[in-house]
Amino acid sequence: MTTMTSTAGETAVRRPTPPSPDAARRPRRQGGTILALPALVWYLVFMVGPLVAIFVVAALHWPGMLQPVSFAGFDNVRTVFDDPVFWDAVSNTAIQLVVAVPVMIVCAYMLGYYVAQKPPGHKVIRYLLFVPGLISTPAKAMVFYAALSPDGLVNGGLKAVGLGSLADAWLASPSTALACLIALDIWAGIGFTAVLFAARLGSVPEEIGEAAQLDGAGHWRTMWRIHFPVIRDYVGVVTMLQFLWTLFGSAQHVLLLTQGGPGSSSTTLSFLVYQKAFIAADLGYSQTVGVFLFLTGLVGLLAIRRAFRQNH
Amino acid sequence: MKSAKHSRLGRSWLPAHILVWLYAVLLVVPLYYFVASAFKTNEEIFASPFALPSSFGLGNFSTAFHSADLGLAVVNSALVTVFSLVLTLALAIPAAFALARSTGRLASLVESVFSLGFLIPTFAALFPTFLLAAATGLFHTRTFMILFLPATAMPLSVVILVQFMRTIPREMEEAARMDGASTFAVLRHVYTPMCLPGIATVLLLNFLTFWNEYLYSLVIIGPDPAQRTVQVALPTLKSITGTDYGVLTAGTVLTLVPVWIVYTVLQKRMQQALVSGAVKM
Repeated sequence: MTTMTSTAGETAVRRPTPPSPDAARRPRRQGGTILALPALVWYLVFMVGPLVAIFVVAALHWPGMLQPVSFAGFDNVRTVFDDPVFWDAVSNTAIQLVVAVPVMIVCAYMLGYYVAQKPPGHKVIRYLLFVPGLISTPAKAMVFYAALSPDGLVNGGLKAVGLGSLADAWLASPSTALACLIALDIWAGIGFTAVLFAARLGSVPEEIGEAAQLDGAGHWRTMWRIHFPVIRDYVGVVTMLQFLWTLFGSAQHVLLLTQGGPGSSSTTLSFLVYQKAFIAADLGYSQTVGVFLFLTGLVGLLAIRRAFRQNH
Repeated sequence: MKSAKHSRLGRSWLPAHILVWLYAVLLVVPLYYFVASAFKTNEEIFASPFALPSSFGLGNFSTAFHSADLGLAVVNSALVTVFSLVLTLALAIPAAFALARSTGRLASLVESVFSLGFLIPTFAALFPTFLLAAATGLFHTRTFMILFLPATAMPLSVVILVQFMRTIPREMEEAARMDGASTFAVLRHVYTPMCLPGIATVLLLNFLTFWNEYLYSLVIIGPDPAQRTVQVALPTLKSITGTDYGVLTAGTVLTLVPVWIVYTVLQKRMQQALVSGAVKM
């Protein structure tokens, strides 16, 4: 759901306030702005306040909830950068982002294009694609837990087709744990993202595609050369969201499925924030990683926005 | 026109059809497995994971219901969701009204402050939020979640409602003003009824988010069965039952039912909600 949230936001951030020619004629309208105050206060207290606090706590020595707190300056940064677990988390997160986001966006775009052409059965497909969007994170994790456990669906399926030797304890094996988490992201993300693309492609005028077909362009060409540039900005927005969603949201799946293990083979940055705060009770460390995560998110957003805006 | 359209999708589309339906199968199989397993014992599940259940007894459902206190958890989830939704609307509708009709610089500043909220990673703020809960004495209560969730929903809700309210012609308000309506009366009798579709959109999107919220509920409300929501209760089935898959899947199916009913009944609305939430440019 965060996905949708942020899409609308991006849109709003970019859209300039519409000019209001009659502003001068009706000054009394401005008085009502006060009605926005409760919502604004609520939002500042519960959202902006905690955001600021991340930076404050990151500069503190705080070795546990009931321990004395002292100012640390950049000590936490040094501790974090010297910790090999942190670098494992960085590389796991990088792998996750580099694999999951492009696969998801490319597949979802093609799937969205397919649905937007209204092929036979597109209503059924549309209904099904939204399904992962409805399922809560714990429920999704339970689906994967049941499917990937040693006696689960995947191993059952492999045995049924005579490939029992390939069966594995997927979530408990260092070589596959991270891959399973990435697979979960992709499985759940493609359908949902495709619905977004299909909706956007539905508002592209049909004449554009038809003109290209008359000129002899195949569907593959129409999809990538004609429609893609038209909705390029929107693809950029969705990419930014999936990037943020993967970067920040992975903690929940890791917590529910692998607890970062075995070893640190599936520890991601966002899980490290959770683990250091609520399991290891090293609060300064946790929030320092939080700041790192926040900055990574910001830099990533700017980079993606740039990539989708060039040659425009 | 329609037939022309279908003929466009000629034989070259065969690989696309196959791939898409394959993905659809990937979406459906785990769900089928879940619903089927909810009626089976562990032995049946291991022996024949794809077979239909031999009986449709509800034993697993009642075990899940009792061992994880799911009944109470559903009530808690419902309380949190409903009160949060009410509070969200109570805050967002007046705010959107004020922002949509005012043209001052202050209003556009406030609007962009809300919009920037989309860039805040709520997840990284988990620990500070936990401190806030502790400081207000509302730690380990549903109350804090009811106060907190509307704040997270504010950016999306305000942006969507402002867009809906901007489409209402100013003449409507002027006519009401002529009849002596106050600002509140204009909000109540002109704007609110006219942007009911927008309100429905906000309600649906937030219903999904609030009902499915997990990490904050886990940390803030905690494991106390009297307070915890259904999403927090669900994963505990894994350890309580020593992973009885039948019970685990039955519990999961139970938590999906409310969302499923809403989606199936309001499928069109839901898609529209998605479109206005994400595609409105």
